[in-house]
Amino acid sequence: MANVFEMGVRQIRAGLAAGDFSARELAQESLAHIAAQDGRVHAFLEVTEQAALDAAAQVDAAVSNGTFDQMGPLAGVPVAFKDNLNLKGTHTTCSSRMLENYVSPYTATCVEDMLEAGGIPLGKLNMDEFAFGSSTETSAFGPTHNPWDLERVPGGSSGGSAAAVAAGMACVTLGSDTGGSIRQPASFCGIVGVKPTYGMVSRYGVVAFGSSLDQVGPFARSVEDAAFAMQAICKHDPRDCTSQQVETDFLGAIAQGAESVRGMRVGLVRAFMDAPGLAPEVRTKLEEAAHVLEDAGAEIVEVELPHANAAISAYYVLGPCEAFSNLARFDSVRYGYADPGHKDLGSQYEASRAAGFGMEAKRRILLGSYLLSAGVYDQYYYPAQQVRTLITQDYVQAFERCDAILAPASPRTAFKFGEISDPATMYLSDMFTISINIAGNGGMSVPCGLGEESGLPVGMQVISPAFKDENMFRVAAALEATYGKAPVAPGFCPTEG
Amino acid sequence: MTQYVTEKDVRDMAAYARVGLDERELVQMTEDLNSIIDTLQPIRQFNLEGVEPTFHPIGSLSNVMREDEEQPSFTQDEALANAPKQQDGSFLIPAILGGGDA
Repeated sequence: MANVFEMGVRQIRAGLAAGDFSARELAQESLAHIAAQDGRVHAFLEVTEQAALDAAAQVDAAVSNGTFDQMGPLAGVPVAFKDNLNLKGTHTTCSSRMLENYVSPYTATCVEDMLEAGGIPLGKLNMDEFAFGSSTETSAFGPTHNPWDLERVPGGSSGGSAAAVAAGMACVTLGSDTGGSIRQPASFCGIVGVKPTYGMVSRYGVVAFGSSLDQVGPFARSVEDAAFAMQAICKHDPRDCTSQQVETDFLGAIAQGAESVRGMRVGLVRAFMDAPGLAPEVRTKLEEAAHVLEDAGAEIVEVELPHANAAISAYYVLGPCEAFSNLARFDSVRYGYADPGHKDLGSQYEASRAAGFGMEAKRRILLGSYLLSAGVYDQYYYPAQQVRTLITQDYVQAFERCDAILAPASPRTAFKFGEISDPATMYLSDMFTISINIAGNGGMSVPCGLGEESGLPVGMQVISPAFKDENMFRVAAALEATYGKAPVAPGFCPTEG
Repeated sequence: MTQYVTEKDVRDMAAYARVGLDERELVQMTEDLNSIIDTLQPIRQFNLEGVEPTFHPIGSLSNVMREDEEQPSFTQDEALANAPKQQDGSFLIPAILGGGDA
């Protein structure tokens, strides 16, 4: 059978319909690829073999009884989920000792949507503990390695979701993005990663980190595959009160390929281009990508985001405050780790949370505790919410002059394990992605080839106005027409050599 | 570097947040928090007079209520399935009143 590791959604559907291969074969090949290759990547925390084979059997039944064309757009597509997304009967650990033995009693809406669309669930994916990090190094179960260079991080926090797709171990995965946790790992692993506008995708069943910032989105090796996934998960969910009713035709938006961008105005932000810490090779790519879009018929305009430099400090106020409150639920009573042998509840709380949470989780909890304390609240939390107003207004004004903004996804390519040990420096990894979460609009990372210096993948970020996520897909389609779909990382493609 | 929090502050906050810290962690955490809080200073340097706060990206958000109709939910067993300790269909916790030896 053809190489399943490189196939996209459309190819899989055509192959199944034509009887070139069965969904069972596809599932088995994928499981075998994970078994053979994940030892060196560690993208998966749990492989759901039986669930995959059961889902494949349904697809094969539909093929044999002639109802396959009624199946959803992801019929037979190997998918997997970040480990903060509940899938009934699987462990949902958030890569934390706190939830090591937690078994989901229900399924998140976004996961349900992927499975209803016909996806074959392969398993659950590694992440930074509770999504606190930019490298997947804070996982309590060991880091994930970047398939492009195993000595480097895959980015984070959705590092497992990005690495699995880059290594051909899944076609589409879901992750979550609170400050860049989809876009930065997508950029480090050379694939497409989408952070939809806040409210586009239900968060019901997603373990909360920063509730005013969190959003779920897909990873894929092509813009089209990401569009198929968006089509499946962008819908109103009465179980999430932030979920909006928005009809977006993602596939229609990209149908014209490079031509999709003709006539669009694409903004460049001077302050981003001149940002200290932006690697020269990433800046070169940014300029190159702007030329690509111009050649495809887009008009490049310069726009300003005057308060973007306040975004990081606003984020590291808002994020920990919301995390502090969300992580209060881990009480060692209803679920989660309980330290044994305590005779009073107070000491059980303290000991369980001490043993259950890793150092970064504790840092964010204590930072939130400090920032929300009396007298300190007025100095940080309240101003951060005022800054949110300014950042949001910046985007509204910038989008009066353009239809999408082009920016780096990350200031540099993937770094080595242990290379960034200071938490404050690690927080700068998200300098170009954070303001989008604060304002709530959409952003996606699109692979633009390899950096001239590092030889590693560089992603460009395309930013949309709120609820106009089709705009970034149009720009992404034009970039992909030049740079090509994301390849499976070298060394992970069995057809090589 | 400016000291924003002392070890005593961190100890108090940890007690409030119900996170136990040993002495080594306390020293490290105090250092880390001071370094992180230092990076947050730009937030205090903007002229924000008259700027309304945005507490949530969806500004027009209003409370969502559903019809008061019975819907499927967890059984008692399902709700208890992840409990570290349970007894007689309830979550079991150490004593919260008295000397703790009950």
